[in-house]
This record gives sequence, structure tokens and C-alpha cells, in this order.
Amino acid sequence: MVMTRLYLSNDTSARAAGVDRLARAWEGTAGLELVRTSSRGAFFLEPLVERETPEGRIGWPNAAPADLPRILAGKGGIPVAQIPFLAQQTRVTFANFGLTQPLSAEEYVAHGGGEGLDRARALSPEGIIRELKTSGLRGRGGAAFPVWNKWQVARDTQAERKYVVANADEGDAGTYCDRMIMEGEPFRLLEGMLICALAIGADTGYIYCRQEYPAAARTLQAAIEEAEEDGMFDLKSGHFRLEVLVGAGSYVCGEETALLESLEGRRGVVRAKPPYPAVSGLYGQPTIVSNVLTFATVPSILARGGKWYAAKGTERSKGTLALQIGGRVKQPGLVEVPFGLTLQEVLDRFGGGMAPGARFKAVQVGGPLGSLFPSSRLDIPICYDAFAEAGAILGHGGIVVYDDETDMVELARHFMAFTADESCGKCTPCRIGSVRGHEILERIQAGHGRPGDLELLADLGETMKTASLCALGGRAPYPVLTAIEHFGDEFRRGARG
Amino acid sequence: MNEKSSLNLDLILQRCRPHDSKPVNVLQTLLAVQDELGHVPQEAVPEIARTLEVTEAEIAGVLSYYPDLRTRPTGRHRIRVCTGESCVANHSDRVLAALRKKLGITLDQTTRDGRFTLERVSCVGNCAVSPTVIVDDQVHGRVRPADLPQLLQEFR
Repeated sequence: MVMTRLYLSNDTSARAAGVDRLARAWEGTAGLELVRTSSRGAFFLEPLVERETPEGRIGWPNAAPADLPRILAGKGGIPVAQIPFLAQQTRVTFANFGLTQPLSAEEYVAHGGGEGLDRARALSPEGIIRELKTSGLRGRGGAAFPVWNKWQVARDTQAERKYVVANADEGDAGTYCDRMIMEGEPFRLLEGMLICALAIGADTGYIYCRQEYPAAARTLQAAIEEAEEDGMFDLKSGHFRLEVLVGAGSYVCGEETALLESLEGRRGVVRAKPPYPAVSGLYGQPTIVSNVLTFATVPSILARGGKWYAAKGTERSKGTLALQIGGRVKQPGLVEVPFGLTLQEVLDRFGGGMAPGARFKAVQVGGPLGSLFPSSRLDIPICYDAFAEAGAILGHGGIVVYDDETDMVELARHFMAFTADESCGKCTPCRIGSVRGHEILERIQAGHGRPGDLELLADLGETMKTASLCALGGRAPYPVLTAIEHFGDEFRRGARG
Repeated sequence: MNEKSSLNLDLILQRCRPHDSKPVNVLQTLLAVQDELGHVPQEAVPEIARTLEVTEAEIAGVLSYYPDLRTRPTGRHRIRVCTGESCVANHSDRVLAALRKKLGITLDQTTRDGRFTLERVSCVGNCAVSPTVIVDDQVHGRVRPADLPQLLQEFR
């Protein structure tokens, strides 16, 4: 009997959208093999079922269990590569997403996996760092620090032991690309970390994975065991030991020094910098802490060269960026594009407009600490410089669109409450400022605002921006102040008192 | 703590004892205890401190810092409503309100029959199919208030 092979994603969001319902209904059908892959990231199409054909994959979007006969007959499918949402992207880090099985090392290698590590093994540590310098890669977690520079510092620091730590505490609301990588192509993260270990001379690594990502932690664990068996961790300098540790729900543990405290098992309280982790990090030893997406980008850079990567993007924001579109748009999902498109272009081209019945009010870029943009400010190019100039951040690439039913005062209060909840308490501006800010917003919301409350918020915001120890306190005022800037009427209504 | 849970605690702590190659890790120890017992009972703190050779204050500090460490048992099933920005933008407040009404409890409370505990969570990376409701380990996307009765049905 001829077997028909159908591809379904095993990604958490695809499953949350109902893929498992299809799998359960179809399992055991004679002549049918179900293969669970990573996700394309076009989540608005999930559950998406695919079949291989000589002309490439054909897909049935938003499939239901009853669609099986139609799919088996090959009726009504669309060529996946021609779906505009996917066709208009420049996939580097996410090139294989939707194609391969996450835990198949064989498929990983068949799709170019391991080439970066092979190349790195043939280079000197300085050679690896040079390649990264040429690529212009900057940290994708939010701080956007040049990656080569960190690696150079850790390389140059003499120490008994050095560590490589992947920051998998993807806490910024509206972001999920790290989760997709860990669940979908875990070997890519491992490979990036190994290349880093070669460059700085580390023999131990940790992946600090947030508790909210149980599937990611499980997949990583299995990938590490598989890689261990394949000898991937045997470096010239010795054996590399890699372990997954799970966090416990603290947002600020995504800040690198708080993360290190948490890795050591203590309260995730921010450390004053300097010294930077590259000099003195985990257990006081030189440590590279980088975001999952950053490590996952490194293998492609080594495999195809820093120059190749740097040719994409803009002069000072090189390469591609993984944007994650969410909120009230028609087409939420993962979008990997070169830096330089405007926010408007990204929303039009990929977001596909507003969800049915919804009207645009504002868009927030960069997670819960990111600025809000009204419709008049969407011409901003997506690159580090333009965002810095506007006092905004790209953060980890989260884009959340709000509709006109959103109450901006409530949203601002929500942001400040979040910071008050999540503040580690080490520095006063964040610990006290967020609580006071929240109180002011609560009374505005209740219609009991006092004269001068908005000025007080602005003043408090300035203090938090300049005097906080880390980005949590330093960035917390931005969504609140940009909400007031662009939707001031809503606040003034409550502030009259 | 009953006899069984104190026995289990002994076993976990055996594994977490400090030794040469591995420094003490309070957080991971508490997570291991919670995995086993469902929560970290306050009365276990002295024993954990003794085994790890740290002060009780250090244990209490870590225990109170992390939102996911619980000192009280939850209901048989945990319902977590995401309040991350994409879920907020998709009006997760309406889902939360419907759950409150249906269960007759508010956040961080357990229904009288011990069936459900209602909690919120700040983003679970399921933003592209928000709003999100998680019941135990099951992640549900694009949840509308009308979906809730069926969604909760299988959890007794």
C-alpha cells in the first residue's frame, strides 16, 4: 500500500490552535503517516496540514478533522511557498521551520545543520570572533550589544573556567521566536552555543528556560541527549557539558545579571554593572549570556560567512530580525525580514490588516517595556538607530496591535502594575517608582486624578529612566508616557478630579 | 505533611545535598520539592535549610521571590489565563471575567470542591493564537468566553 505522509506542526501554538485534534482523529488511518514538524510561524493558518509533491509542499490551512478525504485526494491545497506571508520573508535562522522534525539530527544535518560548527572547528577562536565582527550581529534579546565584542572580552579574560549561558527566559509579552527555536530546531541553539564555547574557551553551558515553556525544556533535554550520543559536544579542548535549568516565573530574570543570580539558585536580583558578565558572570567567572535567537543566528553566519550576513539589512542594523506579530491583526505570526522595512510596511505586508471587525488604535513594539505608536507614526524604519532616535526599542521583536476598544488608561495601569509586580526591589526608582506610578494611574482610572498628576507621572518617569539599575525600571515609563503622549485625552478625562 | 510526603522530601533532598562538583542550588531544590509535593510546605523549610547547609532565611527569601513557587496546595486543576499584551489586546479580560463568574472565585482562589484554582500568567509565548487559557499542561488558543464550558468539561 502506498503511504501518504502528512506534515503537521508540533509547536505549542499550533497545538493550541487545534493541530492535536486532527492528529487524534486521523491516527491509525490505513495508509496514512503523520509527521510532526516545527512550525512555519504562519500561525493564522494553523492547523496547517502539508503534503510533499514534486513541486514542493502543498498546504491546507485551517484544516478540520473532516477535511481528510479532501486532503488525501489532493484537492484544494495551496503551494506553501507561494503563501504571501511566507514568500515575502527572508528566512535565515528560520529557513527550515515547518520542514523538519525537531529532534531528528539527521534531518537537521540534511538541511545544512552543523556546517557552522564544522567551519568554526576549522577556525581559530580569533577567526570565529572575526567572522562575527564582520557579520555585525548584535544581541537580539533587547540590549543589541555587538556580539563579537562580548566574546572578545570573555576570550581575553583569564580564568579557571568560562561559561556559555543561553537566556531562554523569553518573558517579553508578544514574543515567541525563542520558544519556536527551542521547540522546533533545538540543535540550532546547541550549535550556536558550541561555537561560542569554541571561541571563548568554555567547557560548561546552561540554558535558562522559563517555566512557562515546558515543551521547550523537554525538547532541549532530548536534543542534548541526542547530541551527546552523536559526539557533538566533544570539542578539541575537551568535553562540553550542557544543562537545562528551569526558572520560576520571574520576568526580571531575563535581565542577564538577575538570570545569573537565579541560575545560582538565589533570588533573581539584578547585579550592578560593571563588572559585566563577560568578565565576571556565573560563579564569578567569565560568562557569555545571550538570547536564544542570538545563538541560533550564529551557525548561519559561520556557515555562510559574516559578509553574506552583513549584506542584509541597513548600514548599522545588519542582517535579519525575527519580528513576532500579535494582537488584533488578521495574520499574527513570525516574520523574519532584513532590517529596514517600516513598521507600516510590516503591518500591511504581513499583518494583513486588522482582525475582522476591529479598528486600529495603537501598536506596541518591544514587549511590555516598549513604546506605543499611533497610526501617524508608523513610517518609522525597523532598525536600531531609528528606534533609538525615537526613544523606542525593538526589544526582542514583539509587535502587538491594539484595537479601538482598548482603554489606554487601563493599559497604562496594566503596564505599571506589571513593573511593580516584577521589580526585583534592588534599586529605589524601580521598586518605589513603579508602585507610586501605579497608584497615580489607579486614581486617574477611578476619575479621582489630581491636578498635576500627568506632570507628576512624567517627572517620575524621567527619574525611573535615568536612575534605575536595569532596563525594567529604566524602560517601564515608556509605554505609559507614550500612551499619555498620543492618547492624552483619555488620561485628562480622569485626571481632572 | 503526612508520612509519605516527608519520605519523598527526604529522597529529593538526598539528591540536592551539596557536594564537591555541584554547588548548592536553593531554587532548583525548591522546584524539585514542588514537583514532587505540588507545593513547598512551610514546615519543610527548616529541613531543606539543614540539608542544603544554608539559613532558613535564605530558603524563605527564594520561596517568596518567585511567583511560581507555592507554599499552599492548589486545586486538582490549575487554570491560568494569560495577561500578556497580545492576550490583553485580544480582550482576555472578557475570558477572565467569564471564568470568575463560572467558577464563582477570583484570582488565586480555589473552588470550594477543590476542582479548580484560577491564576493569571504573564505571557506564555502563545501570542499568535491569543487569548490563551492553560488548564494544567494543556494550552488553548483563540479562546472565547463561550468555549469555556466545553474546555473545562474533561477536568473533573
